[in-house]
Amino acid sequence: MITVRVTFYSYFRELAGQPEATLSVAPGSRISELLAQILERFPKMRPMQKSMLIAVGVEYQRPEFALSDGDEVALFPPVQGG
Amino acid sequence: MLRELTITSAPIDEAALLRGRQISSGMGAAIYFLGFVRCQEDGREIAALDYEAFERMARRQFELLFDEAEKRWPIASIRLVHRVGRVAVGEASLWVEAVAPHRGEAFAACQFLIDEMKRVVPIWKKPVS
Repeated sequence: MITVRVTFYSYFRELAGQPEATLSVAPGSRISELLAQILERFPKMRPMQKSMLIAVGVEYQRPEFALSDGDEVALFPPVQGG
Repeated sequence: MLRELTITSAPIDEAALLRGRQISSGMGAAIYFLGFVRCQEDGREIAALDYEAFERMARRQFELLFDEAEKRWPIASIRLVHRVGRVAVGEASLWVEAVAPHRGEAFAACQFLIDEMKRVVPIWKKPVS
């Protein structure tokens, strides 16, 4: 298994009930598989699935991105700067 | 191209920013935009906005936007300041400046930076009553 750290920003933190979580997924897993696990564990986030933005490190990534051990994944709602 | 990016909890010091402006002899336009916190958010009266940034990623995404602006227009300088933390109604949350040879390029770059920031830079706001 590989371990990734997931950080929630903005109101996703409230929906998850915690600022971050460490999850284990099978080697070669994609973001989509990690998301399935997250939505299972944090069901309040399910309605936000469509608008959810996903980053690994400091770059946006798509659900098909293959995760590596130690990746830092960030999940957040649409941005609102300005 | 000169780039200055500031993400800060301190008030935006407009006078200091204007004093720091550098315009070479080939530059004909400096456009700057200030965004203020309004007293209403989604139809509700508010006292302030709490801004949160995923700062490391925000810096990276701003740099990518600066790269793109530099490719599109002959800009000499981009300076951008975004507040984080609590910003009271009437205070500025954003200051963006573009310096270019002509006004069209400076206006376009400034507009591009603001529009794209609102699409990709991980900053969020929460109303405070």
